[in-house]
Amino acid sequence: MSKKPDVLNVGIDLGTSRSSISASNGARHVVESYVGWPVDMVARRLVKKPVLFGREALENRPMLDLRRPLEHGLIKEGSERDEQAVQELLRHLISLAGARDGQPIRAVLGVPAEALRTSRQNLRGAVKGVADALMIVSEPFAVSYGIEALLHTMIVDIGAGTTDFCVMRGRYPTEEDQRTLTNAGDSVDEQLATLVRSKHPDARFSIYMVREWKEKWSFVGDPPAPVVVTVQKGAKATPIDITNEMRRACESLLGPIAETMADLLARVDPEYQERVRHNIILAGGGSQIPGLAAGLERVLTEYGGGAVRVVEDPVFAGSNGSLAIALDASEGDWESLAD
Amino acid sequence: MASSDRLKRRILREAVRENVDVMHGLPRRPLQTAVRLRRPAIQAALLVGLPLLGFFAFNTLSSSAPDRAPWLAAPSAATFSAPRALAPVTASLDIRRIVLDPGHGGNDSGARAAQGIVEKEITLDIARALRALLREEKYEVVTTRDADTFVSLRQRAHLANIERGDLFVSIHVNSVPSRECHAVETYYLGPADDPRAEQLAGKENRDSGYHLADFRRLLESVYVNVRQQESRKLAHVVQKELVAVLGNANPAIRDKGVRSAPFLVLVATESPGILAEVSCLSNDEEARRLAEPAYRQSIARALFLGIHAYADARNRVARLGQAPGSQ
Repeated sequence: MSKKPDVLNVGIDLGTSRSSISASNGARHVVESYVGWPVDMVARRLVKKPVLFGREALENRPMLDLRRPLEHGLIKEGSERDEQAVQELLRHLISLAGARDGQPIRAVLGVPAEALRTSRQNLRGAVKGVADALMIVSEPFAVSYGIEALLHTMIVDIGAGTTDFCVMRGRYPTEEDQRTLTNAGDSVDEQLATLVRSKHPDARFSIYMVREWKEKWSFVGDPPAPVVVTVQKGAKATPIDITNEMRRACESLLGPIAETMADLLARVDPEYQERVRHNIILAGGGSQIPGLAAGLERVLTEYGGGAVRVVEDPVFAGSNGSLAIALDASEGDWESLAD
Repeated sequence: MASSDRLKRRILREAVRENVDVMHGLPRRPLQTAVRLRRPAIQAALLVGLPLLGFFAFNTLSSSAPDRAPWLAAPSAATFSAPRALAPVTASLDIRRIVLDPGHGGNDSGARAAQGIVEKEITLDIARALRALLREEKYEVVTTRDADTFVSLRQRAHLANIERGDLFVSIHVNSVPSRECHAVETYYLGPADDPRAEQLAGKENRDSGYHLADFRRLLESVYVNVRQQESRKLAHVVQKELVAVLGNANPAIRDKGVRSAPFLVLVATESPGILAEVSCLSNDEEARRLAEPAYRQSIARALFLGIHAYADARNRVARLGQAPGSQ
């Protein structure tokens, strides 16, 4: 595939929780999808930057107007600040990829399927101008393209705001090939927080702490080790065991995901159902929950069974897939997509 | 390997095409495979439907009786069963998202007053003020344009449909040959009920981006629909508020009432919709008032009161599960 040598092709996975970029120059980066602006002059003086991203934004959140722009898998409509946050985040990712000044950028942007379905025009407007030419695709499609699983495959992309399902039938997925659930990473956080709070009503902790606990110690099935975290009880730091709460919160994903898989499978042509059933691939941050694939296989036995595996390199599977699309697109394709 | 490459290439082409369609504000294309599967059914439907469509179109376009509603006129009941409107209760859904359509824009200035005021600026300003009022009441608001840009009627309708608005409100300012006109009138989709309405619809339908074939297809889809009834109700409430609010500011305002006309932007949108002619630029006194921000704000306020009253009533009905008017 011949490309103009000075063009930088990038694939971006714009996620609710994390966003990653894979570039044709070999650069790969991931940042948490937080964007924060100093709230006043004092904060600006303290943080010494006009805008902060990812972990740095999270750590300085009391001083920032902090945004997670794709909360619930959607750009909040009518919120110029959230649209601006998306633009800033994309520009930040592209700068991390090492784009040179004036270097033409061609970007393929993978977004939660729900964002694309409900507000594609709005989304396109929000990201206008961040690259010289831009293509937007649904995240599960980007994953399937990257791993060349375009036929008789079901991709389940478990993000923070949504879990997106997509059956690949050898065509660009349409609405009937896709489903979206809001049972995803954030719902696990909320459930875990509720469970811990009901068991330890005097414990003080934030949703950000809960998110960190989940990222470190989540599991489905048998616990690899007891999960003990430290919370404030009054003025005292107190260790508490949240093993059962963690399991219940993580396993809350199993039922809804398996049911949706079964529903989508039922809509596949009967002659291909078995092939799809044994070719279910998990992607996204949620796919990294240890034991999740096995747990889903266990629940799927109620619906006739199935084989579930986790995509290799789940953090970059989406951005790598988007990059593959960018590299495969022809000059003519990119010309038609130029802003 | 070659077939895998071919598959990738085809899928990639579809992805690019979808993106290009979005860039041009076009709706999603239908499923290729689904069309193939249903081709015999479609062919059969076309064989039966085309003559029927021609029959409808002929009757509609050739009708000259002013009291006849040609698009609601079914063929003889002995031959075909007459279409029946859906009961509104079947669509008792909350109204949450409102699409505002400031008329004209860009190189299409719309009506122009002697003082140099142009319709496109007035409609945009009123739409922005109305958007702010609606958002205060927690409605989601989408506007078909938010700057002085040309947006074709086709793009406006596509945007409204893609955004899944629950209501569509198109804002225009009248301009009529008589310089004495103080008319305020609100339109909903239907046959033109007088030659002037027909003329006005023709004027507003210019540069729509639609072809005659599209128009026929669009008209067909609205015959038996709750949309028309709901649009009429919305038009009545909005007109009432416009006359009440603007009548206070200008007693010379003439209530021209609610009327129906085939404005393309109303034909092509999928939600109940109205087109409000909120003032009259050809009248010097009205043009002077329209130059005042407070007057434009009053117009926005009147539109807001009408939309909110209608939506509030609908939402209450939806919650109670009753048909409107059944209380």
